[in-house]
Amino acid sequence: MKALTRMKIMLTILILGLAVLPVLLSDTPWPVQARDYLFETAKSDTGADNTVSAIYLGYRAMDTLGETLVLLVSITGTMSILINLGRNKVDEESIGFSLEPEKLPRHSLRTNLIEVVASKLGPIVLLFGLYVMLYGHISPGGGFQGGVIVASGIVFLALGTELKTKLTNTIVLSRIESLSFLFLVLASISGVFFESGFFGNPVKSLQNISPNFIILLNIIIGMKVGTSIAVMCIAMMGGSHDH
Amino acid sequence: MIIERILIFLLFIIGFAAIVAMPNIIKKIFGLNLMNAAVVLLFILEGSRIGDQAPILGDGVKHIVDPIPQALMLTAIVIGVCVSALALALAVRLYKATGSLDINVITKRLESEH
Repeated sequence: MKALTRMKIMLTILILGLAVLPVLLSDTPWPVQARDYLFETAKSDTGADNTVSAIYLGYRAMDTLGETLVLLVSITGTMSILINLGRNKVDEESIGFSLEPEKLPRHSLRTNLIEVVASKLGPIVLLFGLYVMLYGHISPGGGFQGGVIVASGIVFLALGTELKTKLTNTIVLSRIESLSFLFLVLASISGVFFESGFFGNPVKSLQNISPNFIILLNIIIGMKVGTSIAVMCIAMMGGSHDH
Repeated sequence: MIIERILIFLLFIIGFAAIVAMPNIIKKIFGLNLMNAAVVLLFILEGSRIGDQAPILGDGVKHIVDPIPQALMLTAIVIGVCVSALALALAVRLYKATGSLDINVITKRLESEH
């Protein structure tokens, strides 16, 4: 029985390998037309130097809206599953992280080391995340990347500090998240009233399109991604009830 | 070029093997993440074949890589995070319901309840 299962597993992996290998070893030249087109027109169409930002907030902004919707649905599912579980009785001996002389509650996810490192690092990581978020149109980065860094800063704060800030409260965070989705929808339809269409840049000028709209969308998406990933992490650390 | 592709292929196969062969559901979720990472790496590698500079326009930038795979993979990474978060939450739920993370034990216990 055991050997038969192993044979089946090996056969499955072999078949998948044979199916995937030609995809990886194909030698078709990569088309350059799209790259050349973006190289010439991305700056004048959207105002962003970073062509990746120009794609996901300019040409394909609709896709970004769908992506944030996926994020919203996934966090709704995760939170509903985790909250319905409730907090069961913590086994003090089995899942303590702190050592004996540290005089912390055994079940907390804290040690003196984590507290010292994470609480000092948290604000710096938050600042760096805001930088990546705000300068996404001219440098590597953008809303999603900056949002993830902001989320890790919030998780550092939640891990490191005993004092309860508003920033690590899941209710506040999830309100910010829903509000930023509302702002994203409002920003997406704002172009309609200025004759530039759905997700069009509402500030129209003939010569140089300013990247302000891209910056605005980057901030909104950064808030959305940062708060939703932070909420999921804090909920998985079991912190959704202590506020 | 061929070495990177073989490594990406191995990463993909390792992820798939973890999904198929590992009885622990946490390891299955990590296998899913590995497959996701392999696909992301393949797209970035393919897009970088036609240039050698980051796709940020500026003075003296001539041969940028293709930005389209990078923008696509931005989406894929976020979806991957969503999928693994949801899967981990389901794993916690299964553990609370059955007291085990082993898929065989979970199946046995769920069958014995009926």
